[in-house]
Amino acid sequence: MRYIFKFPDIGEGLDEGTIAEWYVVKGQQVSSGDALVKMETDKVVTDIPSPKTGVIAAVYGKIGETIKVGDPLVEIEMEGIAGAAAVAEVQKVLVEEVVEEGAGVVGTLEVAGNNAYMPASEEGVDADAAHVSKPVKKALATPVARAMAKEMGVDINLVTGSGPAGRVMTADIKKYFESSKRMEDQAKQIPQLAEDRISYKPLSQLRKTIAKNMVNSKHSAAHMTMHEEVEISELIRVREKYKAILAAEGIKLSFLPFILKAVALSLKKFPSLNSEIDMENNRMVYKNYFNIGIAVDTEDGLLVPVIYDVDKLTIKQLAEKVTEIADKARDRKLSMNDMKDGTFTITNYGSIGGIFATPVINYPQAGILGIGRLIEKPIFRGEEVVKGRFFPLSLSVDHRIVDGGEVTRFVNTLTAYLNDPVSMIIE
Amino acid sequence: MINIQKYTLPDLDIMDSAVAVSAYVWQPDRTYLVLGQSNKAETSLDMNAVLADQITVMKRPSGGETVILTPNTIVIAVSFATETLKNPRAYFHTINESIMAVLAQHGVKNLLQKGISDIAIGEKKILGSSIYRKPKRVLYHAVLNMGEDVSIIAKYIRHPAKEPDYRQGRSHAEFVTSLHAEGYEIHIEHLMADIRERFAHENNGAMAELLNG
Repeated sequence: MRYIFKFPDIGEGLDEGTIAEWYVVKGQQVSSGDALVKMETDKVVTDIPSPKTGVIAAVYGKIGETIKVGDPLVEIEMEGIAGAAAVAEVQKVLVEEVVEEGAGVVGTLEVAGNNAYMPASEEGVDADAAHVSKPVKKALATPVARAMAKEMGVDINLVTGSGPAGRVMTADIKKYFESSKRMEDQAKQIPQLAEDRISYKPLSQLRKTIAKNMVNSKHSAAHMTMHEEVEISELIRVREKYKAILAAEGIKLSFLPFILKAVALSLKKFPSLNSEIDMENNRMVYKNYFNIGIAVDTEDGLLVPVIYDVDKLTIKQLAEKVTEIADKARDRKLSMNDMKDGTFTITNYGSIGGIFATPVINYPQAGILGIGRLIEKPIFRGEEVVKGRFFPLSLSVDHRIVDGGEVTRFVNTLTAYLNDPVSMIIE
Repeated sequence: MINIQKYTLPDLDIMDSAVAVSAYVWQPDRTYLVLGQSNKAETSLDMNAVLADQITVMKRPSGGETVILTPNTIVIAVSFATETLKNPRAYFHTINESIMAVLAQHGVKNLLQKGISDIAIGEKKILGSSIYRKPKRVLYHAVLNMGEDVSIIAKYIRHPAKEPDYRQGRSHAEFVTSLHAEGYEIHIEHLMADIRERFAHENNGAMAELLNG
């Protein structure tokens, strides 16, 4: 089987790179992880590793040639018979020039391409588990420094070297020893403070990810939040009517399926809220699909499973999906596949409490809708004062993408659907 | 004809360091012109000026455009171990943030990260950087202009073939500045010591975790 490996996006936001050096020739046996080619982009020179084990059946491009992300780099024959044929042509090399001495293998890269396999990515791998097998490296040090470290009871592998190539010197040992002693002395002086008033807990991988994503969103998007209330007496009536019917089928009908449907229909009318901005390439990216994430509060932290193609699902189907992801979240069975490729997010903090919020955008999406708890207050209906029931809405958007007028029109459309839910099936 | 030498300046050795984050901060002893991996001397340099002044020309293993190193600049090399690849922008951002923090301690204001990998004061560049990625180890390279007269850049280096958006076609003299030209009379030895200290601290700290976590 022949595998076409294409030039992957290495993440600078650039769409091309220059071939600096080939490490392989046609007919050469390669293992997964072997360096195939040295590529240069504007600021980075990097070795591109082979994603597969096999025999190089074709090499594309010459040294100095600039190629686009997604262009073929090599073809790898992954089965022995065809591979042997390729070996026979080993003399007919496409690449002869060697410019620099070789580098080697780097970790893993995401591959851009349609018909290529994805090489194993370490994204999503539990970092703590990955660290378990990481070997401890022995520090470079002068013999004198090693002797001093031994005498002073210092683990030399923990010391930062200031000498050539990070070599640990005697001065580094002394500095480390004094620093450690100082910290020990300080710890002895204030034991009550640390033990009685403060406790420490290592960050979980999920908390680290949440922290990183939140900061990235706040740093990258121009947040703006609009608050509105929508009267939902009719929605409550409709939901009550069908709640019992669906319950007979074992389906729980909450308000969320109606909100999902209303959001998807509104997004269709206002595509900017279902888009992202690509500053690197000076363009907008509009999504013609409507995958809506639901922020879920779990014991481990915030997770955002996604319901796909919401616009194509009925209220009943949405109710089933909501139950499904809620069960998965509760049972800690959500996978990365359940949480990727969302185009908009809903956070329903009202199920816990709270009225208004300023939700943080699930970057690079354009918007996130917060739903507060149901509130009751008197309203005029004609000349009569009657009980009104409202959902408080808080819509945060990326103001780089969406202007205030469009946000207001989007909210008007959304509230119209929720105020008159039958209109959602009329359209 | 210019003799392009292999890069032999001392900071490349830290690629072989055994520690998680290793930094080598140094002041060049004389003037060097350093070509990026794919730069060509005939298109990047004013050959007559380089030959007349007998400037040493080298080619570094990392990417980016041609730079000049002089005793009025600081070269900052940081290498770190990595088990997984990240977007190079993350590496540039993390390391440049550390350098900016040290500059801010010395009172430098209006520091910004510009382009893919530059540090600027306002819209003028004071530091450029590039990356060389080897097996499980990454080398970051940067040149900080302490007080070099920017006219020397135009004397030897041609306008680059590629430029960041924020350069907007500006000449070297309009685009590049130095800490001294911006009114910061920082002692070069003190600044180098503080940058070294910063990265020594980072070795067991947040940056090591960010780069490798």
